[in-house]
Amino acid sequence: MDDKTKSSRRSFRDFAFKALKAAIKAIIVYVAYFFVWSFLSPLSELIPGIQQMMETFVIVYIVLMILGDLTSGTIYQHFFSAAKALFVIGYLMLSLNGGLFGITFENISLMIDLRVFMLIAMILGLLGLAKSVLQAIDFMNQKAELPLR
Amino acid sequence: MNIPIKMIGIATTIFWVFLIAFSVSAAFSAKDIQFNFGDPQTGMTADNELFFSLPIAIANRGFYSIGDFNVTSKASDMNGNEIARGASFVSIIRPGEEITMFHNITLDINEILQGDRNYLFNDTDLRIHEAVGLSLATIIPVQASGNFTLPWGAPLYNFMLGNPTYSPYNATHFRVNVPISFENHAFFDLTGSLQIHMYNDRNTRIGDGQTNIETAQHTGYNGNIEFYISIVNAITPGTSPEGHFDVYLFSPLFNYGPWVIPYG
Repeated sequence: MDDKTKSSRRSFRDFAFKALKAAIKAIIVYVAYFFVWSFLSPLSELIPGIQQMMETFVIVYIVLMILGDLTSGTIYQHFFSAAKALFVIGYLMLSLNGGLFGITFENISLMIDLRVFMLIAMILGLLGLAKSVLQAIDFMNQKAELPLR
Repeated sequence: MNIPIKMIGIATTIFWVFLIAFSVSAAFSAKDIQFNFGDPQTGMTADNELFFSLPIAIANRGFYSIGDFNVTSKASDMNGNEIARGASFVSIIRPGEEITMFHNITLDINEILQGDRNYLFNDTDLRIHEAVGLSLATIIPVQASGNFTLPWGAPLYNFMLGNPTYSPYNATHFRVNVPISFENHAFFDLTGSLQIHMYNDRNTRIGDGQTNIETAQHTGYNGNIEFYISIVNAITPGTSPEGHFDVYLFSPLFNYGPWVIPYG
């Protein structure tokens, strides 16, 4: 009974620690977003919907990050990490329309070629995905090695 | 395995930070690029072509250089046929640099009139396509383009030759007076020489007249041409005088003719 109580207390403490860590990371990311947005806010007049687009990205990213932190120590952590990397790649591709970002107001059209930016972001996203896959493999390896000890 | 994975994570994070910092600072510094358009100037080239020159002042107060700054203008008629084109290019504008470039477009009015004489006599609209391109931080290409219409004013709008009046000059010749009127709706002054050749009803050339015209833009012209014709050739006995004029216009900007106008 005592061992069970101790174990559940330890689990609760671990979970509280994970939750705290996740909350702190989420706050840091959100503060970073505010800092970055303060520089980009003039763009919202030029590109309507950019703020909503970035907010959606940040919210989904933070949710996946929190889920990853809460499930740390399990294989699901790596699933969420991979999901985060895939989400970054997919969202950038969809929101940037393949790298050619165009807007039209009245009879003037503005076209921004972000293909170089997108290419670099894709490579970094793929690196993140590769890291998650390697971490998952490493995690499974470590699990498999335990009974042999 | 853990250390290489961690190294990948650290490297990825560092690159993400660089990428985001660069993107944000490039977007932020884009708002510090200022463009000022001066008053357009018009004039004539050595080849007697009309040119427009638009001064564009660019002040790069951002953090990064602007590369490949270019302005392209294309004028076409309502059917889409290109009649003029101009392009200007500046390879690089460094941070803190202020430059003034002149965007020039030349217009060969002679060539335009060869294609369609309506430009001479009727007001119309020209389609203008403007495109401005640059590379932010020399690696992010940005292009803005737009279509506009520009009114074209005819230099010989409502051109009319009145009926010739005849008065005896001597025993062998009549003095002929032909009234001329038109409105110069064009954006340029019209100077030159107007010539008419008079033909009778038997298609025989019976006289020539000439007058110099000098009409400022957006003003009207009322004048006349006087010349002399032989009594013998002028009129077929028993008929009223009729025939046609061949009208020619010679100006530094363009030459036009013959334009056949019947009289009588």
